[in-house]
Amino acid sequence: MTIINREKFLNHLADRLDQPRHQLAQHPYQPISDLPQTTLADQTPAELLATAKTHSEKIPVTFVTTAKAQLGAQLTTLIQERGGGPVLLPTTKAFEQFQLTAWQQSLAETQQVDYWQAENGRAANLKLAENANLSISFADFLLAESGTITVSSGAGQGRAFHFLPQHYISVVPQSRIVPRSTQAIAWYDDEIKAGRLGSSAIHFITGPSNSGDIEMHLVTGVHGPLDVVYVVVTDC
Amino acid sequence: MGLKTSTKPFEERIAAAAADKFATASIAQSQDAQYVKREGARSELGHWQEWRKIGQSIRQHAINYLPDYLEEFSDHVDQRGGSVFFAQTPAEANTYILNILKEQESRHVVKSKSMVTSELDLDQKIQALPDTTVLETDLAEFILQEDDWDEPSHIVFPALHKNRDQVKAEFEKIGYVGDNDPEKLARFARHYLRERFLEADVGITGCNFAIADNGMINLNTNEGNADLVDSIPETQIVVMGMERIVPSMKEAEIMDNLLARSAVGQRLTTYVTFAGPKAQDEADGPTNFHVVILDNNRSEALGTEFQEILQCIRCGACLNVCPVYRHLGGHGYGSLYPGPVGAVLSPILGGYEQFGELPFASSLCGACTETCPVLIPLHPLLIKHREVETDRLKMMHGFKDTQMKIVGKATASPFLFKMGLQFKHFGMQAFTKHQTPTALNFFAYQGAMIKNGPGLIKGWTDVRDLPQPPKHKDDFRVWFEHHQANQGGATK
Amino acid sequence: MKVALFTSCMLDLMFPKVGQDMVDVLERLGCTIQVPSDQICCGQPTYNSGYVEASWPVLHNQIDAFADVDCDYIVSPVGSCTGILKEYPTLLEDDPTDPDGYYMKQAKILAAKTYEFSQFIWRVLGIADCGAQLDGVATYHRSCHMTRILGERETPFWLLEHVNGLEMRPLNGLQYCCGFGGTFSVKEPSISQLMVTEKVENIEKTGAEILVSCDPGCLMNIGGRFNRLGKPIKIMHLAEVLNTNVDPSRIRKVSEVPAPTPAPAEVDLS
Repeated sequence: MTIINREKFLNHLADRLDQPRHQLAQHPYQPISDLPQTTLADQTPAELLATAKTHSEKIPVTFVTTAKAQLGAQLTTLIQERGGGPVLLPTTKAFEQFQLTAWQQSLAETQQVDYWQAENGRAANLKLAENANLSISFADFLLAESGTITVSSGAGQGRAFHFLPQHYISVVPQSRIVPRSTQAIAWYDDEIKAGRLGSSAIHFITGPSNSGDIEMHLVTGVHGPLDVVYVVVTDC
Repeated sequence: MGLKTSTKPFEERIAAAAADKFATASIAQSQDAQYVKREGARSELGHWQEWRKIGQSIRQHAINYLPDYLEEFSDHVDQRGGSVFFAQTPAEANTYILNILKEQESRHVVKSKSMVTSELDLDQKIQALPDTTVLETDLAEFILQEDDWDEPSHIVFPALHKNRDQVKAEFEKIGYVGDNDPEKLARFARHYLRERFLEADVGITGCNFAIADNGMINLNTNEGNADLVDSIPETQIVVMGMERIVPSMKEAEIMDNLLARSAVGQRLTTYVTFAGPKAQDEADGPTNFHVVILDNNRSEALGTEFQEILQCIRCGACLNVCPVYRHLGGHGYGSLYPGPVGAVLSPILGGYEQFGELPFASSLCGACTETCPVLIPLHPLLIKHREVETDRLKMMHGFKDTQMKIVGKATASPFLFKMGLQFKHFGMQAFTKHQTPTALNFFAYQGAMIKNGPGLIKGWTDVRDLPQPPKHKDDFRVWFEHHQANQGGATK
Repeated sequence: MKVALFTSCMLDLMFPKVGQDMVDVLERLGCTIQVPSDQICCGQPTYNSGYVEASWPVLHNQIDAFADVDCDYIVSPVGSCTGILKEYPTLLEDDPTDPDGYYMKQAKILAAKTYEFSQFIWRVLGIADCGAQLDGVATYHRSCHMTRILGERETPFWLLEHVNGLEMRPLNGLQYCCGFGGTFSVKEPSISQLMVTEKVENIEKTGAEILVSCDPGCLMNIGGRFNRLGKPIKIMHLAEVLNTNVDPSRIRKVSEVPAPTPAPAEVDLS
């Protein structure tokens, strides 16, 4: 699009700094420590799962583990516990990877199930998300240190998908539990720079929406979901 | 409102803060609670001093190469299909933003918390448009808006000075029915704001960190309101201070960790988002995406001893440890940016005429410097401001210049000081009173106290008693000479 | 061991007994004391007020006063002044009146051998128990500059632990400034009043009858406020405590006593 007033503005800054512009190629930022990479890096997969569970539950997040074979039944239970549909699902190949296609069909027989589909446009998708009692996403990572899931928005799973429904469930393979945000960001950074990820929005979500704005009293569900569930699939 | 939040004189603001017992109690309570949470979160992370150095190195590098990073960032925003406007002044920024609203015939603007837009006084400017409404969606900012745009009192908890009954009263005006339970009040706000989110055509956000090498905006909120602001409306306008930039997402991630642990003692803020304009194949997110990069005198700090203040990541930790903020509250400072960071930043952004008293309103206890996650030397910068005001600008902020110069001369010259030691007792005679003291081992020498002293001493005796200084014969050095003579001891 | 006392204007103007007790304690522990006569002030009153040009001569005088003194250590009864003296090499980086770097060089020598009273006893002399006896209930006020500029959080607590008969009570809000702040106390009395009043309330809540500190300025501020409010307290510098009812046969080295209780936690988590 457009860039306005840039040259005058940046030249003024360079004057104030008393150095010429375009120095960065010779002076890129050099990390001074590998602490971000080494923190919690020595944990085994089992330890990472335990850390993730402890830290998620403190937030609080409902933390569930399941084998792939029981994933569908587990999701059905979680949906029922939260009052059923309308359920908003993403349009994604993940259902096939998790062998959930049969579950998708059976769910639709008992609940209202809708799909986020970019081709239906902004208004229609926002309406589905606003009306949804619950949405289920497939996360890219679970961060053990902070009990955070990470998701990237795209055509089949927009931004508001994660924020407008009343309840939110995120499914993540145990193999995608990483020590902390460092590893997840490194992956996103690589994917974006390699042109493999065209997403315009990456979200790190650590439990339900909350606020301490009234007398520092912590309340949940101010804007986003009222509660959040992480489902870790242990055998993938 | 803008940067300056009060036209009252400083002494009046201090008196008002002292009188507001609820605000004082809630600030004290929040400082004490935050202390435990913040230090717990840092200690759990481990190697905190090294993390601070990492944070400092990232922020200093970004500021040192600010023109290059801003150029790189704006190129990437452009490639993503967004627009970038560089604004030297609030007026330029406002003109650009209001033009967008007018051209698009925008009706409903939703905002997530942004201190920079408060510098611009943007809400009031939008309100003044005939056909456009603006709504703050952060719960605290929403509360302040409903109270006729009350001024914020903390950079992380803007409504810290309000109690639940005051919030209830404000919400009742817009239809709330119920008691003062924060859960119910928050739930009411959720429904009220949700309706307005869905009809919004423009979203305005601030920016925690701008990612130079991919043009994304990194936002941190616990409520998730920023995510609704950058998901639902067709248009998003990001307003950022020009210093709010990092090289890549990798550095942003480190800063987000330092921010969450320092601001509220969380491991990560609930919603940490990196986002730009909507991609072609996506359904939501802004189609029209604008970034306004504001200077507003920040460049005054570049290349000076004050440059380090631009490292600030607005975590508010320095407010949360500050004993002066503890008693003055946010309103006492009269600036949008209160606390130690505000006392350093406000004179740079708004000048010494407006904010020159703030650098003196510190006991230089150093708690701010000690807690800052990016190693800004806050209290030394307060001394630097004092130096600029006294030595360079010759502005007098309460000290009588001649008196302080005498102090300087007397403490630099052994002869004058010794003369002073011999005579100090006599000068004070007229002001002393003989009373039975309640503080023991304090008035040991004359048994007299000064309750209403002159000159430099007046400020002291306004608040506390001063012992009458010992007579010269009782001075330590006189005693030591005798002591040494009695011992036949070492030479001086 | 040859020790030169850095007296501070606090001690010279207001607290002579602190100096006497300090001399007694240090001589008892085997030090030979001298008091360089040309020393005056560390320079904080003017420097911290922004009179930086006027402060260079003050710093230079202090450096000159100690430059030719034949001593192993310089010891001060004031945590704040000790902290600043240790910072002299940093402050003098901006000094335009020292072109050949003479004062910078001297300042580094000076800073390296300067200690605050309590840290000198524990860390340099290696003494844990000074043999003092004081019956009473006390609390300790930790001064900001001693803690944050000098970086000494522990030695006063450890030495007080070995005073016979003294019950130490923890002080709530230990990390908050008492509102002294040197010239701050006279420049901003209305803010200072709010701070010192809260400090007085917290001290009262401990039930302590004695307030101990290693910074006479804080004691003067808090004690003065107690007196103005008509509330009882006894203020004591640590040197006065350690010189009370001393039984020299009880003096013990750090190596002869159990490891001390960790001092109350503060912010440094490195």
